[in-house]
Amino acid sequence: MKTLADLKKIREKAQEEMKLRGGNVRIKIVVGMGTSGIAMGAREVMKTFLEEISNRNLTDVLVTQTGEKGLSSMEPVVDLIEDGKPKVTYGNMTSDKVKKVVVEHIVNGRVVSDYVVATGN
Amino acid sequence: MQDISLHLLDIIENSARANARNIKVRVIRNVPQNRLRIIVEDDGVGMDSHTLEMAQSPFYTSKEEREKKVGLGIPLFKQNAEATNGCFKMASEPGFGTVLTVDFELDHIDRMPLGNLKDTLLGAIIGHPEVDFDLNLITKEKGLEQSFHFDTAAIKEELGDIPLTYPDVIEYIDQSLLEGIQNTNMEDV
Repeated sequence: MKTLADLKKIREKAQEEMKLRGGNVRIKIVVGMGTSGIAMGAREVMKTFLEEISNRNLTDVLVTQTGEKGLSSMEPVVDLIEDGKPKVTYGNMTSDKVKKVVVEHIVNGRVVSDYVVATGN
Repeated sequence: MQDISLHLLDIIENSARANARNIKVRVIRNVPQNRLRIIVEDDGVGMDSHTLEMAQSPFYTSKEEREKKVGLGIPLFKQNAEATNGCFKMASEPGFGTVLTVDFELDHIDRMPLGNLKDTLLGAIIGHPEVDFDLNLITKEKGLEQSFHFDTAAIKEELGDIPLTYPDVIEYIDQSLLEGIQNTNMEDV
């Protein structure tokens, strides 16, 4: 059974880490979770990002969900937002594509141009 | 939508977009009454009676930027519930929030499966750090009642400034939800 005491341990560990590296969010991931996105598999996309973050122990990324933004034919859609760089929008995402984006873009800093459907604002 | 948990995710997204800060979700599987009930209650902006009625039409959306005015989320959920002798009720008050109650006949041949409740809830909780979720899963079966309660406000208080996307926190929430879903027999509903 998970208890709040487990959370306390997690918090202490996380705070130690943040002291070492400053606690900045390097990349923000925004998963489009409108009706059409959900129907096209956005929940699986979200889940895969969370699994990858957990498995690879990525402590400097943030994932959130948002409504759709008029790219319904390319759902599921994901935005990657990094400080000082233009926003990258990936479309027609799947679980496998998410894994590739995590390795290439988030870990190694190389945009996966094959999946990009828009850049900038 | 292939299952009820995807509809639930869609409804939760509606609540989040209505600027809810608190979302209560109840999933009640009542075997003696042959009913599966989903209740989503939020404290978002709410709707007046006209908007409430329009929201159940497939040709209405609150999304201003949309060129084609189509909004299928609510009408499809309603249709899928009603196809099982169930019912779909929405009540709302501007400035106070919205409550949605959806009933399915549990053993109806046309009832879609509940599906992956865990991934719906995990994504919603972590994807909306600004919202506090109060979750209750209840199963009534063979004279017994099993329930699972999960309140993210308590978790966030314990975590302080550690984000919900911290790897161990994802794992914690995932495991807690998994245990709760198993303990209330909501896995293969």
